[in-house]
Amino acid sequence: MEIVLETDQLGKKYGKTWALRDCSLRLPTGRVAALVGPNGAGKSTLLHLAVGLLRPDAGSVRVFDRTPYDDVAVLSEVGFVAQDTPLYRDFTAEELFTMGAKLNRRFDTALAHRRLAQIGIPRGKPVGKLSGGQRAQVALALAMGKRPRLLLLDEPVASIDPLARREFLEALMGVAAETGTTVLLSSHILADLERTCDYLIVLHAAQVRLVGDVSALLAEHRRLVGPGDGGPLPAGVVQVVRAEHTDRQSTLLARMNAALRDPAWKAYDVTVEDLILAYLADGDSRPRAAWEVPA
Amino acid sequence: MIWLAWRQHRKQALFTAIGLALLAALMVPTGLAMRHTFAGLGLDDCVGALGTASMIPAAADTCGKASTQFNSQYGVMTLIGVLFLVLPLLAGLFWGAPLVAREIEQGTHRMVWTQGVSRGHWALVKFGVAGAVALVASLVYGLGVSWWLTPMSQAGQHGRFNLFFFDMQGTAPIGYTIFAVALGIFAGTVWPKVLPAMSATLVGFLALRIALTTLARPHYLPAHVLTFPIEDATEQTNPAAGDWILSYGIRDATGKMITANAQIACAPDATGPGAACGADIGITSGNYNWQLYQPGSRYWLFQGIETGIFIAVAALLLYLAIRRVRRAA
Repeated sequence: MEIVLETDQLGKKYGKTWALRDCSLRLPTGRVAALVGPNGAGKSTLLHLAVGLLRPDAGSVRVFDRTPYDDVAVLSEVGFVAQDTPLYRDFTAEELFTMGAKLNRRFDTALAHRRLAQIGIPRGKPVGKLSGGQRAQVALALAMGKRPRLLLLDEPVASIDPLARREFLEALMGVAAETGTTVLLSSHILADLERTCDYLIVLHAAQVRLVGDVSALLAEHRRLVGPGDGGPLPAGVVQVVRAEHTDRQSTLLARMNAALRDPAWKAYDVTVEDLILAYLADGDSRPRAAWEVPA
Repeated sequence: MIWLAWRQHRKQALFTAIGLALLAALMVPTGLAMRHTFAGLGLDDCVGALGTASMIPAAADTCGKASTQFNSQYGVMTLIGVLFLVLPLLAGLFWGAPLVAREIEQGTHRMVWTQGVSRGHWALVKFGVAGAVALVASLVYGLGVSWWLTPMSQAGQHGRFNLFFFDMQGTAPIGYTIFAVALGIFAGTVWPKVLPAMSATLVGFLALRIALTTLARPHYLPAHVLTFPIEDATEQTNPAAGDWILSYGIRDATGKMITANAQIACAPDATGPGAACGADIGITSGNYNWQLYQPGSRYWLFQGIETGIFIAVAALLLYLAIRRVRRAA
């Protein structure tokens, strides 16, 4: 399996604060990956490192096995839509595509135009006069015009209304499926990701908490409900991600390596949202050291 | 990339062109009118006859009457000169400072630096286009103002070598403009917001301009000293020489300055008021007139030095700005 994006012990600090630390992950080709975390978790930092806007302070980041920092050859393979979809506001979409064609060795102006025509966005109007959702679509069309093998999007839907957000994500999924482009999309709106992504990266407090294929992750995590007596964990639990206790019962979100056999416990499927929230919760929410699984 | 730089900044270039056209609309008619009056007063021939020597015979006609008349008619025009002094700074503030600062402030650098063009290339082309427009604009206005000011300089009171008048004509404005734009660009890479970048440009520009004008320019080359007698003067200073007089006064026989900023010349066998030749204000025999000056023949040399210094500083700033853009991380 080809790896598109690979980071190893990657770190970046601003002043004395690490915005991203010890980040090691691999993104296989063809995936639509969600980069999830609260504001300030390091999502933008990771994306900016991947697209060469930032230089690592520790470790390495490799895109198509090259170092992206100011490497034009990599940049022409990567489409990037930055946060708040910055575009020259006095340019029309047509002029932005002309720019794309002049600044990239390979740029499919016709494809970009076709995309705008499909969703009915005027190409001759200054993009500053378009709505936020339309502007995001123009930014996506500009990024897709490069025919990138990797498309990175930083909170592309954060500032647009729910309907436009849905249209945008549908459009994104459409082109990703059509072209086979690997997509890495950061967001803090969880509901959007459940439908769209098949790979998950959870960042919290500058560190990676969870990486993996969504269906595999869903398969190995279970919500377990059992007696609240602090007794032994049921067999098959590898890691307790999050635990809640009342006098009568305990609720665990646990990673399992085998099916649950203990009749005192009941297992339930988890959703992507459950998973993300569990991994985003601070370690403090696991009060009993007994639940920790020895390494 | 050139297309992009031009497309992004063509509006500013257009405004610059309109501004220059408006200036021309003001300056061409007044310049022609000045020339007309200048010739009508006979100043053309009169000034021509004076030559460019620092001293001329006492009996020579210094065109005093006609030049006073000319200056009383057009002296107010020199007020426009203030505008010419400010023009390079305006270029730095509105043309240089936003060039990088606005991109970063609005986040569009994230879009343009992730296309298939390296940041170094981006900076080079963008700065090149900005510099070329600034060069053309300053060339037009520097040489235009030279043409416009010529009659006023020749009429004696506002010599082209004098402070402020030196600064608004010839090649010096080109140096100032390129420097202001480069300073604005550099400030934008250090303070990536438009307003702080503009403030820094304002402060930096004024600081270097004032420091060089007051401290350095009088000493680009060793100044000359001229002394001439007070009594029985057979020579007088030539108002058409175009010398830059740094200081002058009357010194006594030991060389001590007794009256600064004064010059007295008495013709032989003078009669009437003033015949005492300054005896009433303590001028005694042995006193003489003294002046420290840069000869008018050095005008273009000084223009070249002044321009060269500012161009060199601008080149350094642009180099640093490109480095900062390339290494921004």
